[in-house]
Amino acid sequence: MHWLNLLKANTKKEYIELKRYLPNTLAMIVTFYAIFLGMFAGIQLIGDPSTQDINIQYAIVNYIFWFLAMMVMNNIGWEITNEAMRGTLEQLCMSPMGVWRIMVTRLISSTVLNFIVIVALLYVSMLTTGQWLNIDVLTILPILMLTLISMFGVGFMIAGISIVLKQVQAFLQILQFILAGLTFIPLSVAPMFAYLPFVKGVDLVRNVMIDGVTISHIGWESFLILGFNAIFYFALGLIIFFFCERIAMNKGLLAHY
Amino acid sequence: MDTIIEVEGLKKSYKKRRSKEFVHAVDDVSFTVNRGEILGLLGPNGAGKTTTIKMICGLLIPDSGSIVINGINSRRKRLDALRHISAVLEGNRNLYWRLTVKENLDYFAGNRGLSRKEVRVQIEDLLKKFSLKEKQHELVNRLSRGMQQKLAIAVAMLADSEVILLDEPTLGLDVETGYEVRDLLRSIVKDDNRTIIISSHDMDVVQDLCNRTVIIDKGKIVTNDKVENLLRLFQVRAYTITLGGLLSDQQHQCLLQKFPQLEYTTDTIQSTLEIDLVKSEEIYDLFDVLKMENTFIESIDRSTINFEQIFMKIVKEGAEGCTG
Repeated sequence: MHWLNLLKANTKKEYIELKRYLPNTLAMIVTFYAIFLGMFAGIQLIGDPSTQDINIQYAIVNYIFWFLAMMVMNNIGWEITNEAMRGTLEQLCMSPMGVWRIMVTRLISSTVLNFIVIVALLYVSMLTTGQWLNIDVLTILPILMLTLISMFGVGFMIAGISIVLKQVQAFLQILQFILAGLTFIPLSVAPMFAYLPFVKGVDLVRNVMIDGVTISHIGWESFLILGFNAIFYFALGLIIFFFCERIAMNKGLLAHY
Repeated sequence: MDTIIEVEGLKKSYKKRRSKEFVHAVDDVSFTVNRGEILGLLGPNGAGKTTTIKMICGLLIPDSGSIVINGINSRRKRLDALRHISAVLEGNRNLYWRLTVKENLDYFAGNRGLSRKEVRVQIEDLLKKFSLKEKQHELVNRLSRGMQQKLAIAVAMLADSEVILLDEPTLGLDVETGYEVRDLLRSIVKDDNRTIIISSHDMDVVQDLCNRTVIIDKGKIVTNDKVENLLRLFQVRAYTITLGGLLSDQQHQCLLQKFPQLEYTTDTIQSTLEIDLVKSEEIYDLFDVLKMENTFIESIDRSTINFEQIFMKIVKEGAEGCTG
């Protein structure tokens, strides 16, 4: 019950802030859409005309996942930095629920809220390009869930680093390009990347949305990798977060402004 | 009296960045806080009081020592101990400025795992008690500093914790709001059975509110006593005696022998003796010397000393003790 109350409180806060910072939210969506338009124009202008359709479809899926990765993983780093600067991080750390639980609910609530934006962006992109992808919810949902758990793990690592390091902004800016690279790389080029946090998930969703693969066609070994990644990265993320929290509490870094 | 917080042998050192030298921010600090009292934790800047407060709040891990809050060892069961304590560390900076008054209360209650239903009545009561009812839908960044401070205290109250730690609760407030906050804090202890620890540089607030003070300097406790005891201790000994003439050399020498700290100032027609007595009875020795030549006493004033002066004396004596 405590968990549910925590989730409700954080979802409401995320929603209020999204609404209250509406110009900011809209600017972010427009910027992302503009980036997509740039990619779309690039494919049309200099891309191979024979593979143009498939390239555009790839671009849509990759770009949507990039946005998702940014929202889930990068945002938590910015949030921690802002909370520390505002002076509210110490209050969060004084909650008897433990700051990690607050972070879990923040990750879930921001993902759910941003998912609405992501779905809207997906349909606008498909409408712009005239390329309609296969939205097989039953197949995509379990893949997405497992992928999101591993993303949450990375989110925790970033949150932990953000607590300890004061100048984390530069790192977060670089990170968004690393995330872009990981979402855009096809697994056929680098099969070992399947064990990176979300690359396998993006690859499977690409197969579903572009090639029309259904859940029955996806082998159990693929789900095994997804499951392993989810557990491994979430656990690793938590361990790193706890480690960083301890460093911060030893050195008095919870209020660095 | 029932003890609610026990701090025992607390130590915390930091390594300076450049010189790599260790600074003992808190060095073997021990004290207890009784249930239902207002304790003042005082000290000059850099004395170690914020470090002590943050260790009590579980925001900083001590190098050694223990903190027991309501019977729970906070180093072993940090989250359990946090159920019994809440704090306002940065005043208005502890709030979300883009949320309204009510949204802040709702959010912080939820963050402690409480449901809106559970705290609905309590929030209503707090809004009334803190005179924030009319401003409940106002964004925090549009409130005055005093209102923000009151909201921060209300948020701390909402936690239902027995102990509330307040760092500079009246800093930056106008006189009227300062008094309002003092009254609120008094009623929190009296009506809501809470215990308050205040860290403040405003000695007026400390003298007015606190039952007891722990004064820290250079990481060590220099005084741990009731405010009234400290006031009595310092006030009882300080006398200013105005004489209707001058002392003879013999009288002066005699007094200096008995009271080496004596300050004697002369005017054309009268003179003044300023004296700190170790024991109240010593005043009779003084009178004996004055009687020797029937020196006329115009007035005897017991110097009034406020808590700020006491604080300065204690810290100064502590510093001299350290250097000597």
